[in-house]
Amino acid sequence: MPLAPVNDAVTITELIDNPYPFYRQMRANSPVVSVRAVNRVMLTKAADTRAVKDDPETWSSDDPDTPMKRAFHAHTLMRKDGEEHLRERNAMMPTFSPRNLKTLWGPAYENLAGEYLDRLPKGEVVDLFPTLAGPLAARILADILGLSEASDDNMQFWSQALIDGAGNFGWFDEPFERVDRAHLAMDALMERKAEYYRANPDQTALSVMVNADDPIAWSQIVANIKIAIGGGINEPRDALLTVLYGLLTNPDQLDEIKRTGQWGSAFEEAIRWVAPIQVSSRRATRDTQIRGIDIPKGTVVMTCQASSNHDEDLFEDGHLFNAFRARNPHQSFGSGPHHCMGTHLARMMLGKIMLPMIFDRFPNMELVQPETVVWKGFGFRGPLNLPVRLN
Amino acid sequence: MPRLTFIASQGTSRTVDARIGDSAMQTALAHGIDGITAECGGAMACATCHVHVADEWADRVGPAEDTEADMLEFAASTVTAASRLSCQITMTEELDGLVLHLPDTQI
Ligand code: HEM
Ligand code: HEM
Ligand code: FES
Repeated sequence: MPLAPVNDAVTITELIDNPYPFYRQMRANSPVVSVRAVNRVMLTKAADTRAVKDDPETWSSDDPDTPMKRAFHAHTLMRKDGEEHLRERNAMMPTFSPRNLKTLWGPAYENLAGEYLDRLPKGEVVDLFPTLAGPLAARILADILGLSEASDDNMQFWSQALIDGAGNFGWFDEPFERVDRAHLAMDALMERKAEYYRANPDQTALSVMVNADDPIAWSQIVANIKIAIGGGINEPRDALLTVLYGLLTNPDQLDEIKRTGQWGSAFEEAIRWVAPIQVSSRRATRDTQIRGIDIPKGTVVMTCQASSNHDEDLFEDGHLFNAFRARNPHQSFGSGPHHCMGTHLARMMLGKIMLPMIFDRFPNMELVQPETVVWKGFGFRGPLNLPVRLN
Repeated sequence: MPRLTFIASQGTSRTVDARIGDSAMQTALAHGIDGITAECGGAMACATCHVHVADEWADRVGPAEDTEADMLEFAASTVTAASRLSCQITMTEELDGLVLHLPDTQI
């Protein structure tokens, strides 16, 4: 069998600006393709990305050559397999239990959302990225993790530093130096708070992990909190901006949803349309094949859920925002043992609370000059700005 | 091959062949049954493969064990004593004829 065909035409800049035209071509012509620009074999069909993530024995999450370990100062749960992965994941699970979502985090988010919406000026043009989506996502996460002393700015700075470090495939110095500074601050705060929670336990992630009967190592507690900081702000932020853009540029759909209250479907469609995390890597633990193409042991594949979410086999007109799809089997929360731990939290915050609330407060919100909205990102993707007038 | 029947919330029913050792969830996906989402692919991390076991099968299928019951709390539709995560039901000859009711929504 042949190896994956090589594509050396597409550039990283093109992928960051808009990867969707490239994905469409690849799905049609060479769905399993070795892409020079990212030095990975990309999988672009829904059946393939899903099959890989659902088979952790053949496909390990432990990709040793990414800058992630350097950036996180540790091997985090995202990069572990099997029992070891489950143990660390379960350590944090109680925080995200349905009871806590319902009784603690839901009401907390509702209050915060109200406060942040109150602060927005009416009648003038305001960019919802820095004034709402970013800081609110940071605030609720800090409170859930047990780091309420961290400011919105602290959280966003740490998160970006971790992401830039983990995505630093050029192995430049600056992102690693910046993330090192972030670690000093995060470590100091966590040590202080751990001591506090030993005496005053609650349901926050830090407290739950510190006070467990058989706690995981402190180094792993810290690493897992950092994964949540790196992976719990951007996605809800980008998902909120994406769903607002989708609804505001499709006023018919917005009107219909105001009538029916299907805000959850609008949220699901937004993250299908533009997946906040677009790709995830897996490493082949043995020689294998996909679609008749040889994948030798050790190959790192990039499962492109962004592409799977537009796959013609599953979605008609996948490039269009349509909140009324009969079926929406998107892969934006991943699949398999690493399926997003924040799924239910994100669905509740955005679909159940934020969307009805924001359109209730500002029923005539309008997007100002939609053509000025800039979309960017290959690993993570979302709008960089969302200028609206609130009425 | 054990046969497995899925009854959708609107009442339509489909009967399919299951491979021994596959889960009921895998069987549903293999036959394109719409009412099973199974976002996590059987890792017991999502609760989008929720089913209600038909009364006459309850004893043979058995109840959800602890971790499964915890995860079931996340299910989008009403959870009852008959609720199971279909990724945790393994098909055997003994389950030939099994009937599972699909909830109205998984998300
Ligand atoms: C719209 C919002 C979100 C999206 C689209 C999203 C997406 C994802 C995806 C695709 C993965 C899997 C990565 C892989 O397969 O390698 C993941 C994992 C993860 N997510 Fe999210 N996420 C969101 C919100 C959150 C939130 C709010 C939290 C917060 C606490 C969170 C915490 C995690 C954690 C801890 C993991 C790692 C799980 C593991 O490796 O076992 N996510 N997320
Ligand atoms: C040579 C080019 C690149 C390669 C081979 C590459 C590859 C990867 C891989 C394998 C991952 C891990 C996916 C996972 O977590 O499952 C990743 C994550 C990521 N990459 Fe890249 N990447 C490249 C360039 C970039 C660039 C230029 C950016 C930024 C604009 C970027 C941003 C990201 C982000 C934000 C993540 C997510 C990190 C996290 O999960 O915390 N990457 N990349
Ligand atoms: S498939 Fe996710 S819990 Fe069954």
